[in-house]
Amino acid sequence: MIIKFLGAIALIGATSFIGYSLAADCSKRPKALRELQALLQMLENEISYLSNLLSEAFSRIYEGSNSETAILFSEAAKNLGTNGVTADAAWEEAVEENYTKLSLNKEDKAILMTFGKMLGNSDLEGQINNIKLISSQLKLQELKAEQMRLKNEKMYRSLGVLSGLSIAIILF
Amino acid sequence: MTNPQLQKIRSVEIDIFPFLIPSIKNILLKVDIEILDNLEEIRLRAKKPLMVFYKNADWFVTTSGKLSKDIKDAYVVMQQEILKTMELMSENSVYAYQDEIKSGYLTLRGGHRVGLCGKVIMLDGQIKNIKDFNGLNIRVAKEIRGCSNHLIKYITKGSFDIYNTLIIGPPQCGKTTILRDIARIVSNGDKNFDFTGIKTGIVDERSEIAACHKGIPQNDVGFRTDVMDGCPKTLGMEMLLRSMSPSVIMTDEIGTHGDKEAILKVLNSGVKIIASAHGYNISELKMREELLALIKSGAFERYIVLSSKNGPGTLEEVVNSQMSAVYKRCSA
Repeated sequence: MIIKFLGAIALIGATSFIGYSLAADCSKRPKALRELQALLQMLENEISYLSNLLSEAFSRIYEGSNSETAILFSEAAKNLGTNGVTADAAWEEAVEENYTKLSLNKEDKAILMTFGKMLGNSDLEGQINNIKLISSQLKLQELKAEQMRLKNEKMYRSLGVLSGLSIAIILF
Repeated sequence: MTNPQLQKIRSVEIDIFPFLIPSIKNILLKVDIEILDNLEEIRLRAKKPLMVFYKNADWFVTTSGKLSKDIKDAYVVMQQEILKTMELMSENSVYAYQDEIKSGYLTLRGGHRVGLCGKVIMLDGQIKNIKDFNGLNIRVAKEIRGCSNHLIKYITKGSFDIYNTLIIGPPQCGKTTILRDIARIVSNGDKNFDFTGIKTGIVDERSEIAACHKGIPQNDVGFRTDVMDGCPKTLGMEMLLRSMSPSVIMTDEIGTHGDKEAILKVLNSGVKIIASAHGYNISELKMREELLALIKSGAFERYIVLSSKNGPGTLEEVVNSQMSAVYKRCSA
């Protein structure tokens, strides 16, 4: 009886854990999108006020920030270091390799890819417009992601606990 | 820095190739090393053949890296390749090179100049930007040390002083190259000429003398030299006078309006001047109002006339302020 009881508790604990971790994943995407906007703001400062070269700006952003999304910038800076790589290729590769890690979806990826197309190849005005445009698009994505999070977070949590309970009841 | 070291640093592969788009770089990598080391220009034009200027003639470059005179064999450059090359040359930061692009050229590390052509965008009567590039001219910089050795003795006056000098020559005869070498010798001093270095200021309006990359001279213009890069001559001379206390100011291609006043101001402050001007001989210079006034005022103590008759930098004659010849080349 005690063994059965302990087993049931373990089962409920496990499913709840799964539910909670899935719920935590939901908050990852809006967080990443929010961080990206902040980093883009930093990039704007780097190139408009400090007039730094792109690779330099990227490394400075990476060093100056401890958010997870900064990996995009460090990877892109690393790619830029290789001979004959243009900014768009360097950025695209960085996005391609890291977007799943950052819990971003295909739509977010497409926006980031568009950002790469204009990167470094126009005058200051063009660069700033590009950054502003992408920031506003990311903002929209963030709002959407936030709504999804509110909806799904609760669902995953209760689903985790309840599914554990129901399996335990059936097996008893 | 010794000569061989300098040569190595300035080679085409190290300075220029990293900034070329791989498709073009791979072709040029197949070109014979002997040719690469002596290239004068690499020309990229949209939808036109890839060309290089080598030993005073232009050549088409084939896909296999051979130089050819037959246009049929030539590799054709696409505009996209030019645009991408531009991005690489500006280190993926076109915005940071905006001012240079506006004036129609970039300076690469190593002092190589890249001329740009494309669609010019105007705003309020001023050039705002150049876009849709259709042509690049990569001019391989050559610093010829010692090319002014044969005329230093006409410029120096004892060990610490020099004559106010005007170097006259037609295009492509090495005026700027010689001016640069004079700057190095005057600034560093040279035991061979029994000359002690003096403080030198260079106003490098077109960034051709010192070829600054991000403010650092890429050519050796001497260690007592201060360079005002990309600055209009008249303003630059005044700024140097006021703040850097030079003993001599050097500048390229005088003859535009306002130069006379600026140069007289320099001379009145007791500072020497070495300048260059376009022209085939002194009488031609007198046709130009600004220069005639300068010549009349006796501003220059030495006129050095160059030509390219026996190769660039041939010394034609040296004349003093009274217009009597100090040296004249035998035309035999």
